Amino acid sequence: MKFSILRETLLPELQIIISVVDRRQSLPILANVLFNSTGQGFSLTATDMEVELVASKDEPLGSTGQVTIPARKLLDICRSLPESAKLEFDASKDRVQLKSGKSRFSLASQPAQEFPLTDIEDFPVNFKIAQGVFRSLLEDTLFAMAQQDVRYYLNGLLLEIGPEKLRAVATDGHRLALKEVDISSNVTDTLQIIVPRKGVMELVRLVGDTEDPVEVYVSTNHIRFQIGHIRFTSKLIDGKFPDYERVIPKDSGNHMIADRETLRQSLNRASILSNEKYRGIRLEVKEGSLRAEAQNPEQEEAEEVIQVEYSGDPMEIGFNVSYLLDAIGAIKTEKVNVVLTDANSSCLILPQDESQCKYVVMPMRL
Amino acid sequence: MSITPRWPRMIALVDMNAFFASVEQLDDPDLRGRPVGVTNGLQGTCIITCSYEARRYGIHTGMRLREARHLCRDFVQRPARPQRYARVSQNIMDALRDITPDLEIFSVDEAFLDLTHCAHLKGTPESIGRDIKHTVFSVSGIHCSVGLSGDKTTAKYAAKRQKPNGLTIIPPDRARDVLHDVPVTELCGISTGIGRFLADRGVTTCGDMAKLPIGVLGKRFGNPGRRIWHMCLGQDPEKVKTHVDSPKSMGHGKVMPPNTRDRDTILMYLLHMAEKLGYRLRRHAMEAMHFFIGLRYDGGWLADRFRTDMPVSDSRLLHRLCHYFLANYWHGEGVHQVQLTALDPRPAGQQLELFAARSTESSGAHGVVDRINERYGEFTIAPAVLLNRSSMPNVIAPAWKPYGHRQTIY
Repeated sequence: MKFSILRETLLPELQIIISVVDRRQSLPILANVLFNSTGQGFSLTATDMEVELVASKDEPLGSTGQVTIPARKLLDICRSLPESAKLEFDASKDRVQLKSGKSRFSLASQPAQEFPLTDIEDFPVNFKIAQGVFRSLLEDTLFAMAQQDVRYYLNGLLLEIGPEKLRAVATDGHRLALKEVDISSNVTDTLQIIVPRKGVMELVRLVGDTEDPVEVYVSTNHIRFQIGHIRFTSKLIDGKFPDYERVIPKDSGNHMIADRETLRQSLNRASILSNEKYRGIRLEVKEGSLRAEAQNPEQEEAEEVIQVEYSGDPMEIGFNVSYLLDAIGAIKTEKVNVVLTDANSSCLILPQDESQCKYVVMPMRL
Repeated sequence: MSITPRWPRMIALVDMNAFFASVEQLDDPDLRGRPVGVTNGLQGTCIITCSYEARRYGIHTGMRLREARHLCRDFVQRPARPQRYARVSQNIMDALRDITPDLEIFSVDEAFLDLTHCAHLKGTPESIGRDIKHTVFSVSGIHCSVGLSGDKTTAKYAAKRQKPNGLTIIPPDRARDVLHDVPVTELCGISTGIGRFLADRGVTTCGDMAKLPIGVLGKRFGNPGRRIWHMCLGQDPEKVKTHVDSPKSMGHGKVMPPNTRDRDTILMYLLHMAEKLGYRLRRHAMEAMHFFIGLRYDGGWLADRFRTDMPVSDSRLLHRLCHYFLANYWHGEGVHQVQLTALDPRPAGQQLELFAARSTESSGAHGVVDRINERYGEFTIAPAVLLNRSSMPNVIAPAWKPYGHRQTIY
């Protein structure tokens, strides 16, 4: 199989798919990218057996066939060749000869038929969503996902697909993030799936801020996204997400309404002197004002006082300040509404006059 | 005299003389004036400490019992009573805290006092030194040696100069001269290894240090190395640490009979450590998620780190971990030591959980059992498997502190 390709055509595609190529692989073939050339065009595929990325282009390369090439080495070579260089490939049994101008490389290859591809299956569920909308759905929730928790089903993002709504929920057991957007899908009953953390992080990188659509396909074990010429497939986590609705408090507690940016900045300043490990901060709310106080093990202290709208009973409550900052950081409205019940109950953080997202944070005992 | 330019800092080291032996002589008048040595139980063969009467015969800490008896026919052996020593020590430390709250408990029988802030209320260094000695004696009946200077190292060196019952004052501006001819290895914290490193570079006495660039020590030993350089010149910058840092890890270990191969015995040792660790975590309102479990054999350690799904302090859950460890890591090797350590102890129950999955099944029972054992002694009530546990007495750890997580007798 012989073909040639321009550096400018190959490099951007390699840069997209390289992120799923693990630096240390369990199977040697996973260090390779699968080059597939058909009459209509060519595609590059990389996988770590959990997520798979395919970049396809409608440019026929002349000859057809399949070959695997070490991905990182190919990227490094491609990157360091001069602009507009033409790369000529000549693939034989276990070698790939690469020529460009006066440069020659001989790379090891592995049999293309051994490259593990996601089995083609039936995707009974599908819907479309604008890239910008989908991106904000991910960005505004993913920070609450657990990391390497023994409760493996928390190490991912719950997608709840309804006929007209798509909801994303993430929780690490201490705080929870929820956001909902409108879609039109072909499901009749609401479907819950969990996309693993790695898939979510990869996805948010691939999705742009545009109105262009993402096509989403769901099977029993996989979710697939078609984003322009990129096809991304991830395995799903086989587990049951906890009953999250049970832990979202009703908004019947005491409402504290604050200017989002003022609140964020003062918590951020106070957090500098909170315990680096536990990040505890003490909040004192009373009529018209909020006082935030942080202390570290060196007995250094920070105090911030801001004006808020609050008319409930005075209250003292402790939090991990990072959880509060994550939630406030995801809110876009000018004001933020913090619903407090008592020092041992979860608090609800909402954008004002908008019901698309909800953040729940459990307090700390300080 | 108050704090003057002569005394920019004033630090005292209080060192209880022959502490364990002194407590024995205090509690049993028959022992006063006699050569007494303390060993770890009556099985112990090594002298932990001995009275000044015994020292006159050439007996010293670390000496074998047999050798001591050989030197002195009237030598009296006493088994250590760590709980009692801890109580006396705690009384002394509480009384010293009335002199100044800026107190660092250095070990069970040593404390640093930072007198910088209260010296102007207390008179001359001599009167402060006498006040400390009087205070210690009046609450405990035990004599101590006091060293007073402008930094910790010189104060500690000063306290060593007159024992027992001494008071040595080295004004800060004299410290450099006093230390000039002292061998570097006599200072606290300079091991023979560092001593060799220094001797290779021509430094044997503290005075020699001035010739060596500080960077040489910094490069080899980092900041502790730089500190050593200042120490030798009578300017130890170290502060008196008035609070105990939160623990980086918390663990228990025990030596077993050599070449133990009986599964039930090994399990019992592991569970014994699990009970001790669980109790200690609970007592200090801590919990942990990462644990080290190890069995030592001739080829090294059979060991691994384990992670629990939630932070725990429940001994039962630690038991389960020990069972799992023994079943999967031990394959009949003859072992001679066990170790169980919580690697990330943290304050318990600080962060509340959204999904109340935390098991509370045995927390009530633990509370009751812990209270019974606090009142009637360790393992008064304990799991039945521990009935035949090791009877080696607990020993007092060098890092013992009367408050906080170090208040433990292993």
